[in-house]
Amino acid sequence: MSGMFDLAIVGGGPAGQAAAQIACAAGLGVVMLDEQPRMGGQILRQPPSTLGVRDWLPGATYDDLKAQLHRSEALPGLDWRGGVSVLGLFRDADGFQLLATGRDGRLTIAARRVLVAAGCYDMPTAFPGWTLPGVMSAGGVQAFLKSQQVVPGKRFVLAGTHPLQLLVADQLRKAGADVAGVHFAQGLGAMVGQLLRDPLLPLGNLRPFRDAAAAFVNLRRAGVAVRFGQRLVRAIGSERLEAAEFADGTRIACDVLATCYGFLPQADLPRQAGCAMQRCERTGGLAAVIDRWQRSSVQGLSAAGETTGVAGAEVALREGRLAAIGILLADGLLSESEAERRAAPIRRELAKLQRFADLLARIADPRTAIAGLADDATILCRCEDVTRGALIRAIRATAGPEDASALKLVSRAGMGVCQGRSCEHAVRALLAEQGAAPGGGFTARFPARPVAIADLID
Amino acid sequence: MTAVDVLIVGGGLTGCATAWHLAERGASVMLVEAGELNGGASGQNAGSLHFQIERRFLENGPALAEQASRVLALNRLAIQDWRALDQQFGPAMEIVMHGGLMVAESDAEVALLERKAAREAEFGVPTQLLDGAGVAAIAPYLSPGIRAATWLADEGHANPRTITRLLAARAIEGGAEVRSHTRLADIGRSAIGFQVTLASGEGREQVRADRVLLATGAATMRTGVLFNLHLPVFPAGLTMTATERTAPMIGHLVQHVGRRLSMKQAESGNILIGGGWASRLQRGETGFDLSRPATIDPEALRANLKAAADTVPRVAALNIIRSWTGIVALTADQLPLVGAVSRVPGLYVAAGGSGFTLGPTFARLLAAEMAGERGGDGELALFSPDRFDHLNGFMG
Repeated sequence: MSGMFDLAIVGGGPAGQAAAQIACAAGLGVVMLDEQPRMGGQILRQPPSTLGVRDWLPGATYDDLKAQLHRSEALPGLDWRGGVSVLGLFRDADGFQLLATGRDGRLTIAARRVLVAAGCYDMPTAFPGWTLPGVMSAGGVQAFLKSQQVVPGKRFVLAGTHPLQLLVADQLRKAGADVAGVHFAQGLGAMVGQLLRDPLLPLGNLRPFRDAAAAFVNLRRAGVAVRFGQRLVRAIGSERLEAAEFADGTRIACDVLATCYGFLPQADLPRQAGCAMQRCERTGGLAAVIDRWQRSSVQGLSAAGETTGVAGAEVALREGRLAAIGILLADGLLSESEAERRAAPIRRELAKLQRFADLLARIADPRTAIAGLADDATILCRCEDVTRGALIRAIRATAGPEDASALKLVSRAGMGVCQGRSCEHAVRALLAEQGAAPGGGFTARFPARPVAIADLID
Repeated sequence: MTAVDVLIVGGGLTGCATAWHLAERGASVMLVEAGELNGGASGQNAGSLHFQIERRFLENGPALAEQASRVLALNRLAIQDWRALDQQFGPAMEIVMHGGLMVAESDAEVALLERKAAREAEFGVPTQLLDGAGVAAIAPYLSPGIRAATWLADEGHANPRTITRLLAARAIEGGAEVRSHTRLADIGRSAIGFQVTLASGEGREQVRADRVLLATGAATMRTGVLFNLHLPVFPAGLTMTATERTAPMIGHLVQHVGRRLSMKQAESGNILIGGGWASRLQRGETGFDLSRPATIDPEALRANLKAAADTVPRVAALNIIRSWTGIVALTADQLPLVGAVSRVPGLYVAAGGSGFTLGPTFARLLAAEMAGERGGDGELALFSPDRFDHLNGFMG
């Protein structure tokens, strides 16, 4: 225990850093916790300092974010706690108690307010063969590249609906990997059609589109095939992955299949704390509901960035600023009019950026691509080995469960070590498909990450 | 208007098992549940089948202990009822009765165990007192600090996540109508029974019922209001925790006579840890809000895990993957509230106290009584709600 902080920020990515800058400048006592040993979040996932990497994440893509990162790492008054997992968030009379574990064991942090800016994670997608060793998420591959400087395989196939796979493929290519192809399930025409629906959007100004276009050109030049309308249907292999199979029957030999269908909000802590949540339309993830100052439905608990809906680093950064201004307003450190004045330009930028984020979400919409991919023998919950067929039998049983939490209890789907992070969206989609009302998802439980009993009681 | 012999309110273990027994007897039965089936304490508890005197009976002085130990007569029946369920339903209920230990570390705890074992013998519950070497021979996984234990060969555990729905399915196959997400909105009395208004997403409906059973657990105080009655059942929040799956380690139900602790390893390999540590009920406008889950008290949780690691040291190395809370029902004298409410003819109640272990027995005895069968031994007399009838002197 180290006294009472004014603000605990969970997550050291762009949103958390932006909030910390403003909160620290206003003199608040701020602690920031992150699972990674170094600040940056997934977008700027840093290699361990012991690796001594010099030319980390070169290119303009990351320049602004890196500048903010360097300011944040040197921020006076910020108590940085890296390598720490927050397991639970408990309300008490003075605010919140955060129970966490790290390399030095258990940690209890008391804070008047909490900002959860915990980012997102790759949406796991179940298809026949997806549990074979060698099938990974594109974000997972990228994490290897960014932080460990490791290429986790020899011959890569990328498949999905999200344009991020172009960037990952280009990074793989630059790192010397053999990229056998990048496969979009949707047709090129459909993607271009989405772009043309809003012809006044100056896409060239927007980094994600520019970066995706640049990666596309690089890949083409290097002779890497980028195919459209190629829907992945199964991973083939006996002991481990040997090939990826597509809807037209094409099989491509590979030892890594990286899938990229989008991202789900990381929202275990707001859910544990009882915050109102809303369903993300296209991915089925659950995001924290927030007001215009990023405040959740739970008093004293704010959320920013992907925890409130996946919209990218640029949006996250501004939401972090807005959250901090909202906190200063609530603490009486800013007047209503001053807060509004500072927030106004941020809100204008957010409105613009949100249009791009919506466009990207429409382009990357995974629903058609993943509908019907899993057959009855496909495992949906890989922690407890629960197949789609077993879930359907449970739903259809006499006196069977009607919502996701009840289905979890009878089927064990979501009862394993990941607490349903990887199967919840699929289980909810299956319930809806079977004519049931999935409800609010699995009840989120302490601890947000598995923790050894010895670490909790010492 | 639909007319039924019996309307059961509450889709937990006791309600669903009673519906099954009554349907098998040919009664027309409707069961209504305000939420999901098995959504309350029946599905939230950790599945202990404990037939020794409970530690909570021993911690409030000798007078209450004396009174509460009379529940032992029911525990004896419950052993038979669980064995019968195992035979009738097979492995789906995951009923495991490989024995249970209540352990002691200090002199005072050993003395407490001795008194407890004597009392159990008096009521025909065949508990054996073991010394340290005897305990170690049966349960080598226990800490060497354990100096004695009482052993009861019939104890064990079962799967609370599936049992209630299996019972409901049998009830439905037997002709009972089971409706979830349906609540009791109003009750009127008539010469021939109850006029019940049910409310669900599809609107309101009138049902006539000759008899009504309230098997509503911690919500019984509230459902009693519809009958203008005080049914004195008090909610309490508890916390339970599951470890990751692990190879077989703990073959028995383990409880501690001096500390709040219950542990067992479920068929799936997860070790379940509980034993009566509090969670916090949420406050509502007019009392505790039972519609929202109780919240975890991190200090109570840590104390629970400490007791577990002190008793079975090897669990310290395991990860916990989930802690959850449940809301149980307690009464002023710690005995369950089960039987007919004389002030309102045709009304029955079953709530309070060890509802998982004793639920099948409550259900079997109540079904017989509600079906008007004679020849019982008055096993439920001790638990009659009429013992609190003085509270309803101005009600009913």
